[in-house]
Amino acid sequence: MTTTLWSATVLVCLLMYVVLDGYDLGIGVATLFERDPAHRRHLLESVAVGWDGNETWLILLGVALWAGFPLAFGTILPHAYLPMIVMLFSLIVRGVSVEMASQAPPAPRWTTAFGVASLLASFAQGFALGTLTSAVRLRGDVYTGSAFGAFSWFCVLSGLTVTAAYTALGYAYTKHKSAGRLRNSAARRGAVATAVAGVLLVAVLVAVGSTAAPLNLGTPGRAVAFAVLLLFAAGGGGTALVGFAWRRTSRAADTLPLGGLVVATVSVFLALGVARYPVLLPPDLTLGSAAGPHSTMVFILVGIGLNMPLVLAYNVFAHRAFAGKFTTGAEGHEAPTTQGPLAAGARP
Amino acid sequence: MSLLDLSRWQFAITVLFHMTFPAITVGLSIFLSVVYGLYWRTGRAVYLQMFRFWRRVFAVGFAIGVVAGAVITFEMGLNWGVYGARTGPIIGPIIGMEVVTAFFVEAGFIGVLLYGDGRVRKGTMFMSTVMVSVGTVLSSTWIIAANSWMQTPAGFKVVHGRFEPTDWMRVIFNPSFVWRWPHMLAAVLISASFFVAGISAWYLVKGRAKGFARRSMSIALGIAALLMPVQLYLGDNVAGHELPYQLSKLEAIEGNWNNGDTGFVLFSIPDQQAARNIAELDIPCLGSYIAKDLTCKTAMPGLKLTPAADRPDMAATFWGFRIMFLAAVLMFGTTFAATVLRLRNRLWTARRFHRFVLWTTPVGILAILGGWVTAEAGRQPWIVFGQLRTSDAVSRLAPGEVLFSVVGFSALYLIMLVAYVAYIVRTMRIGPERDDPGQEPPPEDLPDTGLAEEGVPLEPVPPEPVPLVPVPLGSREVAAR
Repeated sequence: MTTTLWSATVLVCLLMYVVLDGYDLGIGVATLFERDPAHRRHLLESVAVGWDGNETWLILLGVALWAGFPLAFGTILPHAYLPMIVMLFSLIVRGVSVEMASQAPPAPRWTTAFGVASLLASFAQGFALGTLTSAVRLRGDVYTGSAFGAFSWFCVLSGLTVTAAYTALGYAYTKHKSAGRLRNSAARRGAVATAVAGVLLVAVLVAVGSTAAPLNLGTPGRAVAFAVLLLFAAGGGGTALVGFAWRRTSRAADTLPLGGLVVATVSVFLALGVARYPVLLPPDLTLGSAAGPHSTMVFILVGIGLNMPLVLAYNVFAHRAFAGKFTTGAEGHEAPTTQGPLAAGARP
Repeated sequence: MSLLDLSRWQFAITVLFHMTFPAITVGLSIFLSVVYGLYWRTGRAVYLQMFRFWRRVFAVGFAIGVVAGAVITFEMGLNWGVYGARTGPIIGPIIGMEVVTAFFVEAGFIGVLLYGDGRVRKGTMFMSTVMVSVGTVLSSTWIIAANSWMQTPAGFKVVHGRFEPTDWMRVIFNPSFVWRWPHMLAAVLISASFFVAGISAWYLVKGRAKGFARRSMSIALGIAALLMPVQLYLGDNVAGHELPYQLSKLEAIEGNWNNGDTGFVLFSIPDQQAARNIAELDIPCLGSYIAKDLTCKTAMPGLKLTPAADRPDMAATFWGFRIMFLAAVLMFGTTFAATVLRLRNRLWTARRFHRFVLWTTPVGILAILGGWVTAEAGRQPWIVFGQLRTSDAVSRLAPGEVLFSVVGFSALYLIMLVAYVAYIVRTMRIGPERDDPGQEPPPEDLPDTGLAEEGVPLEPVPPEPVPLVPVPLGSREVAAR
């Protein structure tokens, strides 16, 4: 029971991270396709106000896994050592270049570093996710794999898919938060990214069958849930494509791509979760075998679990503080009034 | 170099690099709260100017601290996977509490602290600044709880090699936590004070922005003067309360191999293999005096009391402690001199003292790094003292993998450090004048409004060397005015 509840918490962290830092990393990737320095700057600034909070979900994801499933933490990370290290390198460069570029503009080189690091981080994350399909070697609680043992062409496919999906999310967010030419180009490119991500995802779903961790759809319940979730994903992706194509300025046109892609992303991860449960790493590292003791589970469910609503509230506060269309330059951000969420939210 | 050595070097490099930034930003966030609070109460422009200037120093340091901190968390599984798997039930939840009670609080309010100036009410601004400092303090609290448990583990049982909590109160309020926590908190406040005082002293030396510099230095040295005596007392108690559990650390700190020395070893080159000091400078009787025995009879225990397999590296432990100790003596002397000058109304005319304070800018940070080297190196060869050896806790990776990451982190961190120092120097050169709300921004500080308008052709931005470019304000900030 406690194990199931904590698994759900870890899953929430994963989904929050993928969606939030997904758009954030995707905007970084988008700067690489952007020639206009003003637009690149705009993209970077729209990340500056939120990246810290978004990335904190990655830390919570890691630590939630560590606290609740310590053996998984101590095994998956060495298993995916090199891609994780590349991801950490990239996240360092990214975090620092965002602040450098926004505290002391214009900083074209920092902006470029930001874009390259975002691309590398996205790919490394997808690659690391891909290693979850390779068999792990454990002796007792000690990982004994080799440096490249977890790598396969599937990891590359997974890396490309995640990068495309993040990029699509980034463009959806940009369409939501910008106006004028930038909005139009984000819509165009976002549609392409969404289509690419969709095609790659189909390839992933086909290819995963030939890895060490094929999808387990043995029971009718799993098969139905999997199919329904994939339908949701397809629906979300389709909605996003329609939303991207919708050129007229309206609230719906700006919200549909982001909404559709979030639904699609969440559905895909849930579907893969359904088809894998309860395996963490093939062949036999499962949620049950990796779980921590009861005394720990109770502590984290109470201590960390009860804090989750508060954590979500901080996230909402941080995002609403800078709600509305994002502008750089003389007009500043949409200024929150004293009656706005900012003023209210600062008095918890 | 073995896999274990590589992973230990990586941890040492990444953790010391990381710690440099909290040593600046935790105290600085509290300083920002104080300064903004003063502005809110008094409405005096100089406090807003101070807030804006010191926030620039804070912002980039905070970002580096965040990303470098994430590295540490993941290293617990990447490089220390066995440690991660075995101590996860105890350390994982503590760090988890840090994430939800501190990181998310910081992340939630940092946006307003950095970009909300002029757009939100002063009360909201103040509240957000206070929340960020609350987050940084809570963060230090949980981290010290986790590390202290590794120093003096309590409230657990070992089941099949795994540490499982039996009493969370004893886990968190373990014997060394109670003293190490206030010690660390005072340390980060003092290190930030010296950082602020040193930079302010530069303006006094240059005769620039005097109102700003005097007020900043006055607050910083005032806080340091209040805290230094407290810190010496706390530090003494850390030693007194932790070392009975870790005699090997005490022995290595003292720098003796054999028993019987009542002096204080000031300088030494220890030879770990031969268990002797190659060279040594000893102040007679001082060791006994420090142990509160003025009769010169209390001798310091030697490291040979600890079996060879359980001995920490004396050089690292000894010198880590000496750096902290000597830095503390220097800082105590500085704050003492500052207080005397202040009482004699000469603090603002003592030019040589200003020059001296400028040189003490990094001393507090060095003291903290030295202290951490003492704490961590002195705990060896244990990762959880007396329970789990560091050599058993390391991930069995290919040495080449770890070599790759050690080289990568070293190179990356060197670049980041250079970039941060260059950024600070540039921020100092541009100076707090641009942050004075009473003055119009000089022409080159005008916002680049073209960024906001779609379709307006922009002047091409010339490529510039990174990062020594004198450039105006962040456009967001200008927009805030």
